[in-house]
Amino acid sequence: VSEVERGSSLRQRAERALDDRFLQQALTIATTKFQTLRREAFDGFAEGEDLRARARAIKEATLQSLDRYLEQLIDRVEQRGGQVHYATTDAEARRIIVDIAKRTGARMAVKSKSMATEEIHLNEALAEVGVTPVETDLGEYIIQLAHERPSHIIAPAIHKTRGQVAELFARELGRPVEADPEVLTRIARAELRQKFLRADLGITGANFAVADTGTIVLVTNEGNGRMVTALPRVHVALVGVEKVVPSLTDLMVFLAILARSATGQKLSVYTTLAQGPRRAGELEGPDEFHVVLLDNGRVRQLAGPLREALACLRCGACLNVCPVYRQIGGHAYGSTYPGPIGILVTAMLDGPESVKELAHASSLCGACAEACPVQIDIPRMLVELRQEVNRKKIAPRSERVVFRTFAWLLRHPALYRVAAAWARVVQRPFVRNGVIHRLPFFFAHWTRTRDLPAVAPRSFHERWTGLRAEDDDGRR
Amino acid sequence: MTTRSEFLDRIRTEMRKTPGLFPATVARRPARPAAEAEIVRRELAERWPETLGRFRLEFERVGGILHRAATVRDVPAIIGTLARERGARSVVTWPAITLGGDLVGDLGGLGLDVLVMPEAEVAGPERARLRAPIAEAAVGVTGVDLAIAETGTLVLRSGSGRPRSTSLLPPYHVALFDRGALVESLAQLGIFLEAWHAGPDGAGLGAMINFITGPSRTADIELTLTRGVHGPAEVHAVFVEAGLGG
Repeated sequence: VSEVERGSSLRQRAERALDDRFLQQALTIATTKFQTLRREAFDGFAEGEDLRARARAIKEATLQSLDRYLEQLIDRVEQRGGQVHYATTDAEARRIIVDIAKRTGARMAVKSKSMATEEIHLNEALAEVGVTPVETDLGEYIIQLAHERPSHIIAPAIHKTRGQVAELFARELGRPVEADPEVLTRIARAELRQKFLRADLGITGANFAVADTGTIVLVTNEGNGRMVTALPRVHVALVGVEKVVPSLTDLMVFLAILARSATGQKLSVYTTLAQGPRRAGELEGPDEFHVVLLDNGRVRQLAGPLREALACLRCGACLNVCPVYRQIGGHAYGSTYPGPIGILVTAMLDGPESVKELAHASSLCGACAEACPVQIDIPRMLVELRQEVNRKKIAPRSERVVFRTFAWLLRHPALYRVAAAWARVVQRPFVRNGVIHRLPFFFAHWTRTRDLPAVAPRSFHERWTGLRAEDDDGRR
Repeated sequence: MTTRSEFLDRIRTEMRKTPGLFPATVARRPARPAAEAEIVRRELAERWPETLGRFRLEFERVGGILHRAATVRDVPAIIGTLARERGARSVVTWPAITLGGDLVGDLGGLGLDVLVMPEAEVAGPERARLRAPIAEAAVGVTGVDLAIAETGTLVLRSGSGRPRSTSLLPPYHVALFDRGALVESLAQLGIFLEAWHAGPDGAGLGAMINFITGPSRTADIELTLTRGVHGPAEVHAVFVEAGLGG
């Protein structure tokens, strides 16, 4: 996301996305495909529902003893020769990793896809001290060359055409490149292979961190997670505190649903269990193994309204089913984490004022909650965020006045009936075939992209009274 | 800088403010994982043909290629054929002790350049020197700890004589296994993982376990599925009927 985009409003960004014909097509194809793959994966998987409930219960149980499991994780990592660092803020996490890079004399860092490192804007911090960060997930590599941010949690470059990718590669290599995905992938393999072999530092996130064994678990399809943990002499894993799971038995429950929810695979191609530095007799593996535990707003949600969002596995299923995401794509959200869960995570990291617009970027249809492998009730928390945004007077004044008036009317039935009768008269010039296509003044924002149903000739209350009278007559 | 105790204290402070959302328990772990793993093995010994059938189905579904060899002596010919068909000449292989059979002589006889990985600890400069030839090799030959039928997955532990790069850097990965490696499900894999970690760390075992489910793949450019982006473009599993030694 460029600086210009960050400064713009959600509406401006959404409008730009809606006008982008390639993006519209790409979003429809990608999200529809992911949805179908996910549905097919769960259709033939009888124990799927049971595993989702168990996975959620494990997350909840882990949070209820989070201090204990983190202590166990820390002890096990240290016993295996690793080092653990503690980052309360994003700035602290950056400083820790930059210090490791400087102390070990690193010049180049290869990274496997990690939303946590995106969240703390690590690449900029590394570049500032002369360490070249190289994203090695193909999608991330593409958007790094384009100086953008991921537009989807698991498919970061779905907004790019093959032609755009070929142009980026051509600029990087200084020679023309054919716009064919096979050719482009081969070029990326050759380019990044050299970097894997040369890099001093491997930086990863973690899909899971197993407390009982001190294991950092990475799930990838390309194999870059294996490269960055095997080849560089230093490995740093940035791990959100909520990523801890108690045991390897628990891990199996999550692995059985994660890839199915993300891409419809039974397992991703590579599940990598990294436990400490290279051991005697091994040919590869890092000399130093660092785990950086990251709070950055997570811990206060243990007792906060967004606690449920700490169960998120970052699978992206809620993005693919969200009618808003499917229209505007990831960049329009203007935050690191897009989609329904992204709104909650953004509020978690940056506070509710950061989502005063985004909290409304949802139709509350509930598709996200249904798709979520750990059954997170995303719509409930979005409604609560809207309430909070309203209560703290962060929301725009016009919106607050409208909702306050409406709430007040709902509490006064007599006045509500009068207002409804009045509205039936006032709406007359605007109603065509039972719907309102266009309203004047600032109400026009609402009707510009959608219709408003007209106030009915008789209210439900009136009809109900009538129906009951008929019913009583019938029975008699 | 935040210290361990400051970090954990903050978490405890927040935890005290809420009892949690609902009563919940973690997964029930095997009480005696080593014994339970042995029971799984014994039960599966009787029905390995079904397990192999399921493995084949899932392994092929994820793009793997399964071969069957009567004995370990038939393996070099399989590797020779697939190398020849792909114009590959160089092979890097785990040593006989971790592979369960000695292929070096026969592979050499087929005109292949064979580089055998060291069995034990080698010094830093030698480790660095080996990296280039491994990266340039066309075929990487490894053993397998477990083969998961439910998902078509090969599980490889790193360690002495079990380098990680053999199954990662060459474009063609060939993995040897026998009926002893077959298990049915991820749940059974969980029991074995617990068993491997139950005692003190085993001598010679490394710091990495990989589950490999088919060839390396990506769909990051216009959702076009492409194989071999960073890891191998092909994964061949060779089932040795008569079993592997060691």
